[in-house]
Amino acid sequence: MAALATLAASNAWSAEPVKIGILVPLSGPTAQFGNNIRNGVELALEDMKETGGLKALGADVELVYADVPAPNAAAAATQRLISQDGVVGIIGSFVSSITLAASEVTERAGVPMMTHSFADQITSRGYKFIFQVANKASLFGEKQLTYALDIAKRAGSPVSKIAILYEDTAYGTAQAKGLRDTANRLGIQIVVDESYPLNLTDASPLVNKLRASGADLVFPVSYFNDAILIIRTMRQQNLDIPTVGGAAGYIIPDFKKGLGDLVEGVYSIAPANYDALPAIAEKYKKKYGAFMPHEALMYGAAFQHMVKAIEVAQSRDPEKIRDAIAALRKCDGFSAGLPGGCTAFDANGLTSVAFPVFVQWRGDDIVTVYPPEVAKAPAYWRGKEVK
Amino acid sequence: MIAVLQALADGLMIGGVYGVIAVGLSLVFGVLGIVNFAQAEFMMLGMYVAWFAWRYLGLDPLVGAALSFVAVFCLGALVQRLLIQRIMKAPPVAQIFLTVGLLIVLENSALLLFGPEFRTVKTAYQTRALMIGPIFVSVSYLSAFVAAVIVSGGLWLVLTRTWIGRAIRATAQNPMAATLFGVDTRWIYAVAFGLGTGLSALGGGIVLSYSSVSPTSGSQYVVLMFTVVVLGGLGSVMGALVGGVIVGMIQSLSTLVMPIQLQNLALFTIFIALLAFRPQGLLGSPSR
Repeated sequence: MAALATLAASNAWSAEPVKIGILVPLSGPTAQFGNNIRNGVELALEDMKETGGLKALGADVELVYADVPAPNAAAAATQRLISQDGVVGIIGSFVSSITLAASEVTERAGVPMMTHSFADQITSRGYKFIFQVANKASLFGEKQLTYALDIAKRAGSPVSKIAILYEDTAYGTAQAKGLRDTANRLGIQIVVDESYPLNLTDASPLVNKLRASGADLVFPVSYFNDAILIIRTMRQQNLDIPTVGGAAGYIIPDFKKGLGDLVEGVYSIAPANYDALPAIAEKYKKKYGAFMPHEALMYGAAFQHMVKAIEVAQSRDPEKIRDAIAALRKCDGFSAGLPGGCTAFDANGLTSVAFPVFVQWRGDDIVTVYPPEVAKAPAYWRGKEVK
Repeated sequence: MIAVLQALADGLMIGGVYGVIAVGLSLVFGVLGIVNFAQAEFMMLGMYVAWFAWRYLGLDPLVGAALSFVAVFCLGALVQRLLIQRIMKAPPVAQIFLTVGLLIVLENSALLLFGPEFRTVKTAYQTRALMIGPIFVSVSYLSAFVAAVIVSGGLWLVLTRTWIGRAIRATAQNPMAATLFGVDTRWIYAVAFGLGTGLSALGGGIVLSYSSVSPTSGSQYVVLMFTVVVLGGLGSVMGALVGGVIVGMIQSLSTLVMPIQLQNLALFTIFIALLAFRPQGLLGSPSR
């Protein structure tokens, strides 16, 4: 009788939903990205339910949202998710500086956190409970340059002078450093190397310098508003230098909405692109009315990886879930849409399979054009197809 | 030399626009004696009105800015009657709490109503520039500047040539005396607050013609707005316009000798120096 009671109790326990914390900015200047992440995670959950992925778990998954618009709110919100809501893991938070602050709390509490933030420090602090599904910012900077140089070479217009424009927060500075170091190593001359404040209200000084410099190629690492100002001002001054954006503002649907046909042919580096996962991307578009931005895809993949790990661990103990996340190599669902086709991690918690891809604007879509093994279409350089 | 001329031209045009968005803040302080921290949020609302006017009525944002003015004028007057009026004689701390609270409410209401995405308009002239000799003059900056000049002229005419303008100035100088001469100062306060917030909203419409709007657009301009106003002299309408042009020029010229990242360093260094030697601002009078 007592055994039966225990069994009943344990059944009741297991029927209680597993809680996962979603720590993203839903208000403030980066709210749009947080909302995209919410869409992505909800679609990922739906996708798992449809494919029967939650059955083995024996319980429902409940998403607990925490709105964190700025780094100073991160620690308290993370603490609350863990101690009050009792989440077994946390997904978030797009902005590198917020992720850095939140992961200090998760590390102390021994709760796993998964992120796609780029900053190099995230997985270089020797932390055990943080997992980064995207590459580091410095690698994005490096690949941004080497990919572009290779395409230019194959297009028959080699590049000798480049310009770097970047916003001066953690993300812009880190990526610019990657670009700069790589350019120096390869002997490419940097003719403009300018940072600017994120709340830029006038891009003409930047573009005046760019025009005077005679650069063959420009790398603006910007958010959204600054990206719009820079591209518009360049077109005003009839500058048609090939442009390689640094992810963020350059690969969201609003970029096209804001600039119209001016976006055609603009390149950007990206941690992932939706064209690698057409079926899910189609679903996303139907549901939310725009193409699936990379952050929706990446956080969807991180979320599915965590749920799968909980299922493998057959436990709600965060420590065991952490070990399962570290050991798991997941190659289906959203994970298949990441470059490299899987989510898996090295000893530091950094992705061991992903690599940055190069995308280019075509009409209303962004298309993966490089590296060749994942390209969906040939690149265009100054309007000509690159063979 | 060409670079200097180019920087001067850019600075002048962008500065004219700064002047218009800041003049409302100056007017509100000059008449009501209240530092409105939510001023930039009214500008953001004006940007949204202009965006909707462009999207659904097909109006150019420079024309839609007129609608922004009307809509935000009404909202501002209402806010003054319902909220600001109650703290007119309250200690400054209460005034700060109210306007900062208003800032938060307006920003988050915009987030709730319009969502977090950035909205931009597309106009035919956005990517055009005129060549005047070796200098590029951006058509969108030029039209924004022209609109700013027209608005300033209009404001000047209203303040100097109309009864309501005289009543506003009288109330600013001495509310008691104005009341004795038959001016209903409570009504004037509502009109002045509406006019001030409406002007910032109008400036927002002008800014939208070359920029984008999101619920946090206000915070992008709030520091600039205060710098312009304090530089010109808090409470001085003409000073705000002059301050705007000076801020635009400093920002633009400083990029010739310094990294762009430091353009605000140049601005604030000059700003602090000016405050040290002329705390009332360039055109402000020592008393207020």
